[in-house]
Amino acid sequence: MNSLFFRLIRSSLANRPYRNIATVFVFALIAATLFSTQFLMKGAEQSLDAGISRMGADILVVPEESSMAGQSIILTGQPTSFFFDNSGFESISRIPGVAKASSQVYIATLFASCCAAPVQMIAIDAKNDFTITPWLQENPGVKLGKDDIIIGSNVIQNVGKDLMFFGHNFHVVGILDRTGTGVDNSVFTRIEDAHVMAEESGTRAVRKLTIPYGMVSAVLVKVEPGSSPQVVAADIEEHVQGTKTILREGLLHAVHGQLVATLQLLYGSFLAVAIVSIPLLGTISAMVANERKEEVSIFRALGATRGFVVFLMLAETCALAIIGSIIGITTAAGVLVIYQDYITHSLNIPFVIPSGVAILADGTGALVLALGIAGIATLYPAYLTMRAEPYEVIRGGES
Amino acid sequence: MTCKLTSGIGAFLILLGILVMLTPWIIFPVCEVEGMYLKTVSGVQMPMKCGWTARAETGMGALIIVGGGLLIARGTPETRQAVGVFSIATGILVILFPTVLIGMCALADHPCRQLTLPALEILGIIVIVAGGYLIWKRE
Repeated sequence: MNSLFFRLIRSSLANRPYRNIATVFVFALIAATLFSTQFLMKGAEQSLDAGISRMGADILVVPEESSMAGQSIILTGQPTSFFFDNSGFESISRIPGVAKASSQVYIATLFASCCAAPVQMIAIDAKNDFTITPWLQENPGVKLGKDDIIIGSNVIQNVGKDLMFFGHNFHVVGILDRTGTGVDNSVFTRIEDAHVMAEESGTRAVRKLTIPYGMVSAVLVKVEPGSSPQVVAADIEEHVQGTKTILREGLLHAVHGQLVATLQLLYGSFLAVAIVSIPLLGTISAMVANERKEEVSIFRALGATRGFVVFLMLAETCALAIIGSIIGITTAAGVLVIYQDYITHSLNIPFVIPSGVAILADGTGALVLALGIAGIATLYPAYLTMRAEPYEVIRGGES
Repeated sequence: MTCKLTSGIGAFLILLGILVMLTPWIIFPVCEVEGMYLKTVSGVQMPMKCGWTARAETGMGALIIVGGGLLIARGTPETRQAVGVFSIATGILVILFPTVLIGMCALADHPCRQLTLPALEILGIIVIVAGGYLIWKRE
């Protein structure tokens, strides 16, 4: 019975190749647009989470006028330098809800020829740091000593080799995992070494670097368990004048802003294709049902129940939906993976390939939706088939 | 497989070969076409890795064109099988040159990484699929 059922589906699909290819194409388009939208969103969100988790902070406090620059450092790694008075750091530490605070100094490195990446140097306060310290604890053999740096995954150098910034040689002791955010374009060193580099830059570099003592670029804040980062952030802005706080939600909002045009285009295409495809597939199924009236009536005359015939029609459309969705999802995933560098740079967003579970969930979602559309599109032809009387149809065919 | 279909696939392979040749120089040019060179300490400008990949891909494109031409000139089952195997091998090399054998620039914001590399990968996959089809339908 089962093998007959599948043989019937196979022969029916093989008998109408061109029409079925068109149907498969429609399902592929539906699944591909929906999958691409989800893939882009998840890729950006997971990348942002990885970047924020690497920074280790719940709140990033920056000078009010440099909030966009601070955001860019995390999102895209656009190098920048800005400072504010370190006295703010003391005040931030005392605000209720703040568990830990650590200051950082951001230094935009010099641009060289075409092959030098724009690198953001982040000088950390080794005593209070919680950005690099957890990574050092996970890699017990690595120590961030004098003139040592830990580099992001996009900075091209190997562990054990040197990199020169402002005429000062730094020794690479570690490479961080890829996050897809600006952290990948950063190098981390100690504040003391950054000051030495700045002092030497007058004689060693093409441009003198100034890092004013008593000034920092940002304060990273970890809130106490149970405290709301939003409430603590509002308190910081209220108590420490001239500062702006950057939270995960704010960064996510900025990424959504960057993505909105692309997502609207993808959602719009998906809706248009879905809306057009339901009546289109319904018409195709109705045409097929009409063409196969006699065949279906013979099935019925041979003892097939109405339910069996409806199930057969539904299975045929679902088979096309499954084939189309798999082709659409695979193609979309392949193109998005192959073009990930282009996507990241043209949309100016943080992006990593989403986790396997997320890809599987998105693929399943797109497949289920395509199956739903297939089911709806089969309703009318199934109704027509159920209403037809086998005897009348076969007699009608004879005349 | 009909003679018409064989010639059609031959023409398709020739088109793919032309695309493989033109992609790194004209369609999605590599860094040196955009004026980005590697500068040595003595000031000499040299092509970067993507430049050498582009040169290798020019050769690979020419080989794919030869395969397509052969299929049009003599579409026997033996030729189809031979061109099929040859196309799969060249398709794999079209992908391997920019990814493993020579590579592209390491920086993700370079034009060779953003457009040339993905385009060559897609072309390589299509050449492999075309070769696979020729082997599958050799009779």
